[in-house]
Amino acid sequence: MTGLAPIDGLVVLAILAKAIGYSAALLAMGGVIFAFVFAKRAEASVLRLAKRLAVGAALVGLAVLAIRFGIRAARISGMGIEGASDPMMLGFVWESPLGTAAIWRGLGEVAILALLIPRFGRWIALAGSLAVAISFAQVGHALGEPRAVLAVLFVLHLLAAAFWVGALVPLRRVARAPTGADLLHHFGKVAAFSVAVLIVAGTLLAWLLSGSVIAMFGTGYGWALLLKVAIVAVLLGFAAFNKVRLVPALRAGNPGAAHALRRSISMEMLAVVLILLATATLTSVTTPPINL
Amino acid sequence: MIKQTLLGLAVVVAPTLAFAHSKSEATTPADGATVTEVPELAMRFDDPMRIISVTLTSPDGDVEIERETGMDPATEFRALPSEELPPGSYRFDWRGMASDGHPMQGSFSFTVAE
Repeated sequence: MTGLAPIDGLVVLAILAKAIGYSAALLAMGGVIFAFVFAKRAEASVLRLAKRLAVGAALVGLAVLAIRFGIRAARISGMGIEGASDPMMLGFVWESPLGTAAIWRGLGEVAILALLIPRFGRWIALAGSLAVAISFAQVGHALGEPRAVLAVLFVLHLLAAAFWVGALVPLRRVARAPTGADLLHHFGKVAAFSVAVLIVAGTLLAWLLSGSVIAMFGTGYGWALLLKVAIVAVLLGFAAFNKVRLVPALRAGNPGAAHALRRSISMEMLAVVLILLATATLTSVTTPPINL
Repeated sequence: MIKQTLLGLAVVVAPTLAFAHSKSEATTPADGATVTEVPELAMRFDDPMRIISVTLTSPDGDVEIERETGMDPATEFRALPSEELPPGSYRFDWRGMASDGHPMQGSFSFTVAE
């Protein structure tokens, strides 16, 4: 297997921090998007939950961003964890594309905190969500060619993923009662469209970054990506089952439907965590075949 | 559990890995070479690489080297042994950062014979 970097304790730490950073960014963006898309349909308490989730996630995201700077500095320094606070190493990280991405992500996550401001605050938060999505197009292999195409695909992929991930917690709350069936049904319709965007953008990215199907087998990147796609397939299975069976059952008032749906959404959350761990591993220790 | 899996994976594949990003890789001395003298230690990259830390180790411990190339990104890195290297096996390790921000590391080994 080629294109896999050595993995030590700091790398494991970097992967975990990155996965938490991904979760925070997706939840923050997703909470904002949920509050917009379902502003009219969702109950006030559910909208409050989505906004609180977004604000909390944005705060976690900001903290993780700072920690990731330290981990990156430690990794390049060769000094071990001591390098995390070395001003020169931190300067190198700041000058690298991670610095640019951090500005976009940091400003975006701060802007998402504007959800706490009544009325127009949500517009600032929406702009913040876009900035967070754009931040992902500023680092790593998003900087390859064709850069504009890669950037647009990354932003679409992330916004679609955020819409889904950010909706899980509010929807799990909604699923407690049959009255939530309308909102869940509506989500199912919008999600069908966003999942299509997610898959098309993801497939195009995989194609641009791997170059060939053969490259998927025999490279670290390929195997990590296949693992990710396999978990995504499981996630889609749960989502489809919810949409086709459980939501209609909830709407019909079937006993046990609410419990089954909530459990199924919890499984979706677990799948998302595994997908983000796979993605963080993929983007930390493997090299896209096109770059090998 | 994840950590063990990752570490296991690393052990299995680490030997095949060298320079993940910047395809490079001419080194002086060449990796695995046996040489009689080492006037310089050098590496070439096809993309500028910021080389941050370098170490040369022999079975007796760290060997002092002097960097000629600074810490700015460069496609060529050069360092000189502070003293003539006595016969033995050596390993050169480096860490740094590629131009896209990825942390990078690599190593090469060589033997000095009489």
